[in-house]
Amino acid sequence: MSFSLNEMEATAKRATRGAGYSWGQAEEASKAVRWLCAQGLDGAEILARLLTLGLASDLATHRPRQVDGPWQSDGRLCPLSAGPLLSDCAYLLKTAPVEMRDVVAPELLLPFAANAARVLKCWISVEIDGSLAVTDGDHLAVLDVLPAAARRVTVSQGVAPEALRNRHTRAQPAPRNWDVLNRFAHQTYAPATEESRLLGAGAGLSDND
Amino acid sequence: MKTQAHTHIDRRDPETVMRLSRLGSLHQCRLSFMRQLTRRMARENWSFSRPVFDIDANGVGTAVYTAHGPERAYSLVAFAHDLPPEKRSDRVIADAWDATFALFDGIPTQADIERLSKNVPLQETGRVSETELSLSRANRSVRLWEHVVDALAAGQQPDLQQIYQVGYLMRTTAVYGSGKFGAADRENIANRPETCAPFQAEMLSVYLTRAFVRDLVQHIADAKGGDQAAKLDPDIAHWLGIGNSTGLGMAPFIVNHPILFNNWVMAREEAIARVRSVETSSAAEVDHFRSTFERSQLSMTWWRSEHPLQIEKLAALNADLQAISDYVDQVGLTGNHPWDRLVSWSQTKLSEEGQEYLASLILEPYADLVDGLASCMADGNAEAFVIDGSMPISEVRDLIRDAFGWAVDLDWASRENCARAWYVSEEKLEPRMGERFEEPIADYEQPLAPARDAAAAHAMLSEWDDGQPVAEFLLRHPEHRHTVRRAQMTRSAPYGEIRDNTIGATVVPLDMLRAKLSFFGATHFDPRSDRWVRICMYAGAPYPEELTSENADLWVYPEVPA
Repeated sequence: MSFSLNEMEATAKRATRGAGYSWGQAEEASKAVRWLCAQGLDGAEILARLLTLGLASDLATHRPRQVDGPWQSDGRLCPLSAGPLLSDCAYLLKTAPVEMRDVVAPELLLPFAANAARVLKCWISVEIDGSLAVTDGDHLAVLDVLPAAARRVTVSQGVAPEALRNRHTRAQPAPRNWDVLNRFAHQTYAPATEESRLLGAGAGLSDND
Repeated sequence: MKTQAHTHIDRRDPETVMRLSRLGSLHQCRLSFMRQLTRRMARENWSFSRPVFDIDANGVGTAVYTAHGPERAYSLVAFAHDLPPEKRSDRVIADAWDATFALFDGIPTQADIERLSKNVPLQETGRVSETELSLSRANRSVRLWEHVVDALAAGQQPDLQQIYQVGYLMRTTAVYGSGKFGAADRENIANRPETCAPFQAEMLSVYLTRAFVRDLVQHIADAKGGDQAAKLDPDIAHWLGIGNSTGLGMAPFIVNHPILFNNWVMAREEAIARVRSVETSSAAEVDHFRSTFERSQLSMTWWRSEHPLQIEKLAALNADLQAISDYVDQVGLTGNHPWDRLVSWSQTKLSEEGQEYLASLILEPYADLVDGLASCMADGNAEAFVIDGSMPISEVRDLIRDAFGWAVDLDWASRENCARAWYVSEEKLEPRMGERFEEPIADYEQPLAPARDAAAAHAMLSEWDDGQPVAEFLLRHPEHRHTVRRAQMTRSAPYGEIRDNTIGATVVPLDMLRAKLSFFGATHFDPRSDRWVRICMYAGAPYPEELTSENADLWVYPEVPA
């Protein structure tokens, strides 16, 4: 089914929060998924794959131990920790590449590299186990098939590619991925009670007037 | 002579403007989205047509209303239904309506109408597509509808007093845009001149809905009265607006879109500052103000509410109108900086409702100073979302203190300061507000208490070295990312944060609804509880076939009958 990018973003935000990430990370994940879908990549599949790993139950184990040096964690590195850090620390790329080790769902790093490209006003290249993606913030070129998990990711200032992906205005998630996201999103909804139905939405007066 | 702006009068302090009680007292003004739309359509000489009106004698069927702009056309596709009275509910839990609508991007084919007929009547449980810009529905005001049908069918005109007091034949109960239920994203139309300003597609949809409702009531009266039915007097039809019933679903919007909301408030504040900075007023400007003031008072006499909060505010506003009248008569609007003196006077003499009414009204004579600010009201600043991790901890703390100084030292553990929680209900996936200590909702809380979250982040930041970049802090504390982002946004969006507690025991969500609706251009706010409100839109406006540059703007102020 065809979804608007807003629908994709809203669902991704709720799903990420429902999976246990902070609201700030959920906001970023949702914008990231929207950006991936706008590039014609399957943002729903990528986020569903990440959330299903359940890293949020122990986030501290899956984030970079420190800002300096190669980014690695005690477990597998979560792109919803490493990605926002990359965007926050775009300035690091002015002097040296950022290296990461053992990243799951590394495609989710691309929208954060796009943020860095916009901040630095340059092309940023993301090399994922030898596969290369390049972005200037708005556009993306993916030169190879991107792996679903990476041993090594290198982010650095890059050069403009020859061919860019077409931009998309709709998302076409596979039903199974959309269902996964909605199952996580459901965790954020308070069960309805008769009390909340009346109190929460505020009513009682007849509208038949 | 062209009026010169001398902007030495500063914009009002966000600390004053962004309090909930003041936001809950805002009034429409020249920058309101409805008035932006009607001015544009008149200026660009839009034309209108009704290619389809296939409605039976019971009022069931389909109609299409098309607005033709300079480059593109937009069509309201309307479905009229036969709704049993017991199904008529304004609230989001309703599942059937008197009429349902979609705004189509262009001119729909028969196949488009066919597709929409299977989805639009279902509203939230249907799907629309990228060719639709909005999805909405409306219910009749039963009393006024019956009165108008009966009067016209009997060959008479409806009673104006009843029209003034209700204000509309139908009220919309939701107008969904921006990609909802499969519709086109805002980004698809954000670069078009006619839909660049906020909510223009939604405002157009309501404008065309009003024409449809007028035609529908006539059609039904004709069917009922046959040859003896009267044609609705156009002068009476003018006073029929479109109502709207708005609930809590809208309240989080202004918290969730701090840059956008800032741009609305800042445009109005800049307009107020520019007019206050006018050194002397011309006779024509004073006349314009006086006549608009006279006309607006008539509209105020039609503003009714049964809600105790609004009754109190209306009583104060009526006293304020008298005080303004006395001031204008006794002090006058000549001399040095007349508008600044008027505003300064109002700050100590009028209620907030009166102050904001007046602040909007002084903009009226100054189209040349004000109207251009409309172009600043959209949110084109996607970059503001990206956190600057190089910012030192001390600077982040300063930003938080600037926007939330009052909140940093508040005891947030105290029950009255966090008595409420915002959540999304499983049932309708709509925002609601509940009692944190009485309902099992805290685990589902939405991030709609920026002040509380700012205080928590501020406390945690104080344990870190002042000079350290905030990136390291955020790596360890992702739970504060949304707060640091918002704090950094305040640099370019000083009016982006509500300077009040949105989860306290005494919060009135209505204030948030009113703030947003006032920018739409709504009038006659009639709260039905502390969390939903009825309003009127387009009352007094010319219908599409009557729209000219002469009547496109000041319709919100009724002409005093001779």
